[in-house]
Formats: sequence, structure tokens, C-alpha cells
Amino acid sequence: MESLHGLGTATDWVVMFVYFIGIMLFGSYFAKYNRNTNDFFFGGRRFAWWLITVSIVATGVGSHSFVKYAAKGLEHGVSSTMTYMNDWFFMPFFLFGWLPIVVYTKIKSIPEYFEKRFSPTVRLIATVFQLLYMIGYLGIGLLTLGKVFTPLLPASFDIFGLFIPVNLMGVIITIAAITGVYTTFGGQTAVIFTDLIQGVILLLAGFLIFLMGINYVGGLEAFWHLLPPDWRLPLADFNSPADFNFVGIFWQDGVAGSVGFLFMNMGLLMRFMSAKSVDEGRKAAVFNVLFMLPLSAIVVGNAGWIAKAILGMAKPALNADVNPDEVFIAVTHIIASKGVFGFVIAALTATLLSTVDSLINAIAAVYMNDVHPHVRKLYAKRVTTQEQTSKEELFVARISSIVITAVGILATIPFSKYPTVYQAHGYFHSTLTPPLVTAIFLGVFWKKFTPAGVLATFLGGSSLMILGATYPDILIAPIAHGTPFDPVHPYSYISALYNTIVCVAVGVLITLTLSWQKGIVNKIRKSASHELMMKVFIGIIVASLIIIWVNVLPLVISMIIVLVMTVLVSLTAQYYIHFDPNVHLDGLTAWSIHRAKEIFKGGKVNEREGEVVSAQWRVRKDNEDYVSVSKADMKKMEAEVGDLVYVCDKRKYLGGLKSFHSKYGEPHEENGVVYIGEEHRLSAQFQEGKIVTVEKEM
Amino acid sequence: MPSFSHSWLPFIYLYGFGGLFFFAGMYIIHKTKGLDLRLKRNKWWRKVLYFGFFYFLIIHAILIIAALYW
Repeated sequence: MESLHGLGTATDWVVMFVYFIGIMLFGSYFAKYNRNTNDFFFGGRRFAWWLITVSIVATGVGSHSFVKYAAKGLEHGVSSTMTYMNDWFFMPFFLFGWLPIVVYTKIKSIPEYFEKRFSPTVRLIATVFQLLYMIGYLGIGLLTLGKVFTPLLPASFDIFGLFIPVNLMGVIITIAAITGVYTTFGGQTAVIFTDLIQGVILLLAGFLIFLMGINYVGGLEAFWHLLPPDWRLPLADFNSPADFNFVGIFWQDGVAGSVGFLFMNMGLLMRFMSAKSVDEGRKAAVFNVLFMLPLSAIVVGNAGWIAKAILGMAKPALNADVNPDEVFIAVTHIIASKGVFGFVIAALTATLLSTVDSLINAIAAVYMNDVHPHVRKLYAKRVTTQEQTSKEELFVARISSIVITAVGILATIPFSKYPTVYQAHGYFHSTLTPPLVTAIFLGVFWKKFTPAGVLATFLGGSSLMILGATYPDILIAPIAHGTPFDPVHPYSYISALYNTIVCVAVGVLITLTLSWQKGIVNKIRKSASHELMMKVFIGIIVASLIIIWVNVLPLVISMIIVLVMTVLVSLTAQYYIHFDPNVHLDGLTAWSIHRAKEIFKGGKVNEREGEVVSAQWRVRKDNEDYVSVSKADMKKMEAEVGDLVYVCDKRKYLGGLKSFHSKYGEPHEENGVVYIGEEHRLSAQFQEGKIVTVEKEM
Repeated sequence: MPSFSHSWLPFIYLYGFGGLFFFAGMYIIHKTKGLDLRLKRNKWWRKVLYFGFFYFLIIHAILIIAALYW
């Protein structure tokens, strides 16, 4: 396989440098809209759906990048779009189950939901899975960046007589160091606006390549007929080859990946949480899946299709032996002129960098919120001042970011052993998402699902997954739908089906037998040595996990050990963890969303549908958190005193940037006038004389 | 001509199993009152959800027909 080097010219490097500086300055301008941590993390719940939709493009394209889809576009054609076109099936669950719960319960991380819904112990185990998932994503991001940059650099550098060869690992480490410098100062608002402009540029750059490519091969008709018939189909072959087949990718991406992306990607959820209301977040999600994802699929995959068409021409300008992961760079280099090539690469790498950077920040946030408080107990002095604590936390956050980046670099090593980034990402997704996805899904939609069920899913389910990875020819083959067995990378995709089945089966079976287990736990409690028995149970659980992990016993004995361990986990959880349905289900499942709304509002919900009213704004003398409008306007909006209100600059193109949330105060008599507090004016940055719209949120 | 296992079989499997998940989701959000149809805007949302399912189904069908016969 040919590897490329030295494709970047001086013009391209200048264009890339200017682009990066421009993007960083653009992002830092929006830092002024942060007035508290809610603004910093969530952008202050103010934005319009269209603004969020476009900003999500950079997130989706950044993590599911040009590199891997162009590679699959070359190898398999239009079916590279498959993974962008199968996200609709879980939208009802997401839009009317999970999204309102996330917004109304104001959770800041997925593990926090596990604590509210189950218990602190479950939160700790969920944190471990979440960190593994995010670090895996970081490894994929860094590996992709390395694969983008390596072809641009010469084969070696000669600096003052020092000969430095350019290899993938060296490039990855250098990029990780640069990423540390490329941090976002402005918080979520700056991230949203940086991603907004990057999303637009990415779409333009992608379509620019497509149009130039079509033109290069002689028009649309010529392009279509240069593609072999199998390359024109939108779905891959049902069960072959091993590295790209429909049925495996359906379960890995369409099921585990879609649910993982919608339910546990905190970066994406935080975007939807920055919408002005739940309904606005729904609009953003719907528009994203219906229109932006299919467009993104064309944008990221078309370089591969163009490459295949070029290879079908009489005198192809492309080497037939090109490395698939470098085909995007190779095709862009052939069809784009100097400078344009630099622009496209800059657009791609800036997005990838911001994805990687926000991932490092997100992992650091999970560490600081979910792990560090436990670590701190081990060394912290009894009395520290607030100032000392915040200084120490800032220091720890920085150190943890550095450590996380280093772990991310290490994570690229196993991934780089896969033939393409796509397959590495597929296997990682198949392995890490099923336990968390099952736990969230059953937790949200099944009231009977308790800490015993979720802990059994985490520990029993993941043990069965380890057995599946160890004995794929026995455990996974029967449900592999005839996909070929590759001994080096066995069942990269269809293993997601096996992993999902075992996690769901464990969770459901344990939950359905809870009343029988409760009888056993009650008997244990009555025995004289009940505490000793539970300690023995915990010892057996730990020993079982180690035995499964080191894999020294035959399969049948290992299976029996896992089943016994799963039951013991459930019994132990019921013995130690107090589960109170009135607390752990209140507003935290799809069955109690109305209650979640009441908790969010702090009172009875008013669901009557009213109008949006335009008004002039005036600032009151006091700084209380309420706004007042006239009685007539209240009637138009079907609003009552104490309802939640959203006030926004009337200019639609601002996308809600100048806006704030508050509550209705007592009405006055001046129609078309809204009185607001000074803090409202500062956070929304309203301009004198500009009209605002006032609407009831709930 | 591409084989059945590369054209209509994946399509049938995708919208068979995908449809199962989708309609199960519609049933559950109806039962939980997550999509409360007493509200006018939720009737619009229900149409959007069904539209999305058939929108992707039709796009995939058109693309397969184009690949086979154009």
C-alpha cells in the first residue's frame, strides 16, 4: 500500500495558519456572553434551533470524519453514507423520552443521572465506563488527525543536521501537544459559534470537492457510469466482506451507535440543552437527522466516490494502490489548486482539533465532577479556604487534562492496528456502548429497573462480553448472520448485536426475578452472620471478575462463574443499596416527565398554548429575577404569574444570542412594554431601542 | 447486475428491524404521555416523526432503483 508524503505547499501552509488564527479569534469574541457557569457549560439555554443544527454539523463531521468515510467510499461506494442515514429509528425515544428528562433534571453529566436514578455506587461504575468510552473516542480523534497530517509532511525533517523521520505516532504526539494550546476560552457559547462557522465552511468545502471532482471526471453522467454498479448502491452487501457488511453495521451503528450518540454523547446533549426550550431542542435534532446528516454523508464520503471514478478513467491520475485512509487527501490534492487544498485541509483539521479539544475538556469535566471528589478525600486536609480549594481544583483540572491527553495517545496504539480508522471505530463502538446504552435505556423507559438490575448489567453483561470476545467462534458466530470470521479482527461489527443481547438479557432477567431475590435477601438479613455472608459475596464477585479477565478456565466453567457472579451482584446490591421509588423515579423516567416539568418550574405546569408578543423593553430599578408585562399581553400569552418566560431580541438572524429566561411577575397596564431587571439586560446584552419578543415557556 | 443480498435484502432488513424499533418507540411515548396528544403542537410532532421514517425509506428505495436501473 502506498503512503503519501509532502503534499502541502508553502501557500497551503500559510492558508492553514491564517484560518486557524481566524477561528480562534472568532471564538474568543463570544466569551463576553458568559456570566456564570451555566452560561459556560450550556450557553445559558437561549439559542434557536437553526443555530444549534448548523453548529452540530461540526461535531458530527469532526468525530465521524472525512478520513474514514472517504476510505469506505473508495472501497465500497455510496454505501459509505449508510451510517448517516440510519439514525431516525430511535428518535421517538430520544425526543419524547430522554431529551426532556435531561433538560428538566438539569444533569451535567451522564453519571450524575445514574446517581439520581439509581445510587452513588452505580454512578461510580458508570463513570468508569463513560471515561473508557470518551478516552476511546479521543484515541480515534487523535489517530484520524495523525492520518490527515502525515501525508502533508515530508518523509523526514533535517533540522541542524538532526535527521527526524516523520511517522504516524510522532505526528499524533505533536498534534496532541498543539491541541493543548488550542483550548477554547469562551465556554459553550464560543464553542457553539466557532462550530457554527466551521460547520458552514465544512459543508462548503465538502461540496466544493464534490463539484470539482464531478467536473474533473467529465460531469454527473460520466461520474455515475464510471462507478461500478455495486459502488452505486446505498446499502452495503448483506453479510460480506468482514470489514464492511450491512448487517454488522446496522447493529453496530444503527442500533448501538445511534442510541449511544443520542443518549450518552454529552457534547451533543449539551448543544440541545443550550436551546431556548425543549421543543426548540427537538426541532434542532429533527432538522439535524433529516437534512444535515444526509448532507454530511455526501460531504465526507464523496472524495472516495470521486477516487473510484478517477480509477475507472483511461489514464487515472491516482495510484490504484493508494492507502484508503489517505484517499481524501490524495483526491483533494489532485482536483484542487494550491491554496484551495490548504483551505480544505484547514477546515477539516480545525474541526477535528476542536472535537478533540472539547473531548479532552469533557473528560476533564467528568473526572472533576465524578472522580476527583473521591480522590480528594484521600489526601485533603480537614480545613481549607474556598480560595485554596478553587486554586487546587484549577490545578488538578489542568493536570488531569494533560494525563487524559497522554492516555488518549496510548489509546491510538491498539486502534492503529486496524486496517482503517472506520473499522477501529466500529469495534470500539461495538464493545463499549452496549452496557451504558442498555443501562440508560432501561433506566429511562422501565420503572422496575433498579440498582440491582443496572449493576448486574454492568458487571455480568460486560463479563459475558469478554467471553464473547475470547470465544467469538462459539458465542458470536450463531448470531453473526453468516458474516465471515476474520481471525485477526473477529466480528468487528456484529459483536455489537451479541453484546447488546447479553446486556439486555442480564438486565431484564435480574429485574424480572427481583421478588424471588428479595426473599433470599430477607432470609440473609435474619441470619446471625449476615454481614460476614455479604463480605464473602463481595469476595466471590471480585475473584470472579479477575478469573474472567485473565481467562484461564474453559468456556463452560467461565459461563457458570459469570451467572453465579451476576446473581450475587444483584443480591449484594439489594442488601446494601436502599432504592426508594418515590425518590429514584420522581421525574427521572419517561413515565414521569410531567413531574420533571413541575420540579423544573417549581410549581404547577401551565400547558395552555398562547401567542408570542412583541414589546419594547425597559429596565426596572430593582434587580429581582422576574419580568412584568401588561394584563392584556399576559392574556394573549395564556400566562400566569410565576410561569416561565423567554425574552429575546426580535431579530431572527441572531438565533437567540441576545435573550434570557425568567418568570412572570405581577402585570401592569402598559400594553407592548416589558419591564426587565438590570442583570437580564447584561446577560442578554439588549440594545437600546430594539424590539423584543416575549413568550411563555411553561 | 448487483445481487439481491446487496440491494433489496439490506433494505428489507433495515426497515424491518428499524421499523420495529421505531414503532415500539411511538407506542411507548404514546403510553407514557411523553407525546401528549391533547396538546395541538404534539399532533404536529407525531406527523414529523412518521414523516421522518417514510422519508428515509423512500430515499433509500429511490437510490436502490437508480443504482439498479440507471
